[in-house]
Amino acid sequence: MRKALVKNWWDIQVLCDPALEDTVFWRFELLGAKGTSSQRKLSQRLIHTYFPQDTFELLDVAAVALLMRQDALCARLPIPQISWGLIDEEDWSRSWKQYWHPQELGDRLLINPAWLPTPKTDRKIIKLDPGAAFGTGAHATTQLCLESLEMRLDGVGQGAIIADIGCGSGILSIGALLLGAKCAYAVDTDPLAVQVAAENREMNGLPSDRLVVQQGSLEQLIATLAEPVDGILCNILAEVILDLIPQMGEIAKPTTWGILSGVLLEQSKLVADTLEQHGWVVATLWRRQDWCCLNIRRS
Amino acid sequence: MAKKVVALIKLAIPAGKANPAPPIGPALGQHGVNIMAFCKEYNARTSDKVGLVVPVEISVYEDRSFTFVLKTPPASVLIKKAIGIEKGSGEPKTVKVGTITRAQLQEIAETKMPDLNANDIEAAMRIIEGTARNMGVTVAE
Repeated sequence: MRKALVKNWWDIQVLCDPALEDTVFWRFELLGAKGTSSQRKLSQRLIHTYFPQDTFELLDVAAVALLMRQDALCARLPIPQISWGLIDEEDWSRSWKQYWHPQELGDRLLINPAWLPTPKTDRKIIKLDPGAAFGTGAHATTQLCLESLEMRLDGVGQGAIIADIGCGSGILSIGALLLGAKCAYAVDTDPLAVQVAAENREMNGLPSDRLVVQQGSLEQLIATLAEPVDGILCNILAEVILDLIPQMGEIAKPTTWGILSGVLLEQSKLVADTLEQHGWVVATLWRRQDWCCLNIRRS
Repeated sequence: MAKKVVALIKLAIPAGKANPAPPIGPALGQHGVNIMAFCKEYNARTSDKVGLVVPVEISVYEDRSFTFVLKTPPASVLIKKAIGIEKGSGEPKTVKVGTITRAQLQEIAETKMPDLNANDIEAAMRIIEGTARNMGVTVAE
């Protein structure tokens, strides 16, 4: 259970003329809101914003309501209607899960949501509860990475030592171990992801010395790895990968391969050029929708 | 056959920083959208605009899949950028924080035109002008 991370939020709702939408956004931004969501409601907009319960006073809502009333009067628009209520973070973070079903990936893997019974199958099953961490298997980039891993770890790749940078839910490391890797060193800068990856490790019955999960990034691996790895996994975003490439060689040996994704097709040339400048070549590039996955090796 | 849209949601959120916290979690979770998948897509497509608020309009289909279109930043964000201020005035009637020219208003109105409910550029400028005045920004005549 991740009880420590659960909190309540004030959900402030404003029903207003669409022309007031930007002003409402700005009023809430002044109060420290991290954004708004809105939907059309007949000819009006229903705007929501949220504040953590422990950092927000309802008096602030009364004050902002008065200002929005003035804004509307100045613009000769109808007075907005404001209401509010408390919501529990867990309510919505779970809500999408009811639509998440077991999913076969490649020829050998199946992702099974942790809250569903284990299906009968010949495939290797990754049991997963991603919580609020990245990596559910539903995204094209995760699928491409797992399919690439299947190819890499088939035969000669068995017993490989893996580095997983930006591990999220731990899905790639767990997949690698189920496909025959010897051990995986997973890092993520987000402490929540580290917690989730460790929980998913336990759920899949993997010992902590086969899947080592730490908070950090590539520097953490450089500082702690006793030997270079056989394979590097990195499914983040192109900008982050570009920053990592110059140092990636420090955990590699001449035979090390890599699977990089989270890269949009239009960004692939820049990533490939940067890799080449730092002693890597792109062996294959796989694409799905607008995304690609670069299978790389040392040049 | 085209998929049926079950919800059209607009989010105004900081570019490159989407995460499952509100407002994204509640807005998308209630429609069964995979929140993390959306965050990844949004962050990738706005990573070159970090520091700006880049609204996004998301179409959610009956099978819970989604597509989205990036919109222009809110007028308040463009006004602050145009005249180089950190934030607007909490008391716009009495405390003024800057001055915006008609040319700057027009430029913002042209940028925002595709997303505004305005028939012509003059109407769009009046909407932007209203936001500027509400922020304590004087419009130079």
